[in-house]
Amino acid sequence: MAADPVRDWSVYDRPALRDAVSVANARGREILVAVDGMHCAACVARVEQSLRDAGSVRVNLPARTVEFSWNPARTPLSGLLRALDEAGFRPQVFDDDASLRAAARARRRELARLGVSAILSMQVMMLAWPAYFPDWQVEPALDQLFHWTQWLLATPVVLYGGWPFFRNAWRALRQRLPDMDVPVALALGIAYFASAWRTVAGSGEIWFDSATMFVLLLGAGRYLEGRTRSLATARLRRLAGSQPLTARRFDGVVVVETPVAELREGDHVQVRPGEAVPVDGALLGVPAELDEALLTGESRPVRRAPGARVLAGSVNAGLQALTVRAERLGAATHLSHIARLLNRAQAERPAFQQLADRLAGAFILGVLLLAALGAFLALDRGADTALAIALAVLVASCPCALSLAVPTAVAAASSRLAGAGALLANPAALARLRDADTFLFDKTGTLTRPGLRIAEVRPLDALDTPRALALAAALEHDSVHPIARAFAAVPATLRAGALRHEPGGGVSGTVEGVRYRLGAAAAVPAAGAALTWIELADDTRPLALIGLAAPLRPEAEATLAALRQRGCALELLTGDAAAAAEALAQPLGLHEVRARASAEDKLAHLRALQAQGRVVVAVGDGVNDAPFLAGADVAVAMPQGAALAQARADVILLGDSLAPLPLLLDTARRATRIGRQNLAWALAYNLAVLPLAMTGALAHWMAALGMSLSSLLVVGNALRLER
Amino acid sequence: MEILFVLIPLSLLLVALAVGAFVWAAHSGQLDAGQDVAARVLRDDEPPRP
Repeated sequence: MAADPVRDWSVYDRPALRDAVSVANARGREILVAVDGMHCAACVARVEQSLRDAGSVRVNLPARTVEFSWNPARTPLSGLLRALDEAGFRPQVFDDDASLRAAARARRRELARLGVSAILSMQVMMLAWPAYFPDWQVEPALDQLFHWTQWLLATPVVLYGGWPFFRNAWRALRQRLPDMDVPVALALGIAYFASAWRTVAGSGEIWFDSATMFVLLLGAGRYLEGRTRSLATARLRRLAGSQPLTARRFDGVVVVETPVAELREGDHVQVRPGEAVPVDGALLGVPAELDEALLTGESRPVRRAPGARVLAGSVNAGLQALTVRAERLGAATHLSHIARLLNRAQAERPAFQQLADRLAGAFILGVLLLAALGAFLALDRGADTALAIALAVLVASCPCALSLAVPTAVAAASSRLAGAGALLANPAALARLRDADTFLFDKTGTLTRPGLRIAEVRPLDALDTPRALALAAALEHDSVHPIARAFAAVPATLRAGALRHEPGGGVSGTVEGVRYRLGAAAAVPAAGAALTWIELADDTRPLALIGLAAPLRPEAEATLAALRQRGCALELLTGDAAAAAEALAQPLGLHEVRARASAEDKLAHLRALQAQGRVVVAVGDGVNDAPFLAGADVAVAMPQGAALAQARADVILLGDSLAPLPLLLDTARRATRIGRQNLAWALAYNLAVLPLAMTGALAHWMAALGMSLSSLLVVGNALRLER
Repeated sequence: MEILFVLIPLSLLLVALAVGAFVWAAHSGQLDAGQDVAARVLRDDEPPRP
């Protein structure tokens, strides 16, 4: 774990801020926070453990969020947040998001509808069976009892469970864009009301069983499909919510932690190294190095001179605290604008889905016309037969299986992948992934773990290695610079005083009366080109050289071998020096290596490969390679990377591991195959059954059974993917 | 077969109970796909609080 000092969370106890980030419930208040560093079931248990004092803790591992309620009168919120932070899960608090909460409520409502439909339609079926054996005479009184009971049981299923179909159909009709819900609602309405009428009249066939089965099966397909989408939304919301909620404001001479909502224009705000700028404003005092990855996707730090405009959400990547004069706050900031864009992108349906919908849409118009035509032609055989034919056409040839064919395959594939640690953010990518034959990897943060570790120490003087490390660790103790994190594992045996950050990324301080300095090495030792070297020196001479390396991900070798086995070409593209890239690529068996590639070089190479007809998957973390990711056929992003790169990525490796990549490829291939099988079956079924229904050769129960089996087959076929 | 006139309404009562319980469970978040439920079994018992 990085040895970041635990933050001061007490500002969240202020009523104004506390109420902005949480909502009241029966037991006190309820809050949803995102947490970093949660990867597995064991982490979930530890998160729960650290929130002992909170109530109803709900952890969502794929979305990396924790929801809990607490009683403000007994436990301060800051105590709970600190407990999480101390357990190694730094919470990320954001404005309470009504839309996220509404999505959770909608999901629960959908589940309730589905459950009610399932329980009751089974009861209806039990009572409906005598109707399927016309030769079997049931005494009339019993028959009546069965009919009235079925009506009672079917009413909640159709009116409550099937309500979304009626609501959507009405909306679609009002917008003059009939979708699949129109024939569904029509068939449901006809079946239900005609059956009710016949129950009262005491004669005629009733179709409650067909109606309830219809609601149940269609509802199940939709629920499965919706589950995946909500997961992706929650994940993206977390990225967009990275805006800081508190700021350090100068009050005269002291600095006070203040909720951002209480800041005014013109306030002076302090931003410590590693912290995010809370407002758009002007930089005062010293020049700054800012990481604007969240805003631009480019995470090479940019330099800003005093007086320049800085944007909320950029991170102070320098080594000094900055002072910013607030100019724009809250919703007016650039980051809020991006968050709004993200939300809008999420709301749009993927083009892929639209195609399936259009296909079904054309079919629907045909089905409606044919149902009317069939009923009209059968009018001379009596109104009852006409109604039965219309219903048979509506039910049997409703393109349910057709509209379920692809979405269920996608939903099942997503769910399988989410379980393995890969979030499929863009379902359309599955089709392109199937044809993928080339993988391009970024080096730092992708093939290697983010962060550096100490690889080698070369004492240059009488100094021994432990002493050199202890001195370096003491100097880096309070810094949040990436280099400093490498020293977090070194036991702190010495303390440094008078620490000062020096220009050029160095740090100096006094240990036991001697002034030491740690900074970039002047000369790189021979045979060490693969490492990043820093130098420990006192006032007169260098004392030791310390080589830092980014550790290779442990799963990288096996993953690359598995990909190669699947016939994919693998390449390494990196901005690093050739020696460092080769040192990494050799043991992995990567022969195609492009070192010193700028973001433009990477993109150009990618385009060249695509021009040869290759389908390219780019795996990166958005640091230096955002355009490259955006240009690839399929972009796979690491979770530690720049937020916007993830927002554009097709797949996010949530588990911070490369291991799901071969599975990703396999699942994509299977999912497209299964999607095609489903489509073929659904089309064949619908075309075959239509003439039968039109001529009245198809009894209502055959129609319902055919439709059900057809949909079940499609869903069942797709569910094979989850295994 | 007259007994059915008693048993079917009785079974309706039971079904109503089951439906009610399910709707309550769904709306109060009991059925949310939280991973914590599966992980809870791995956790040690809480130490008795003083």
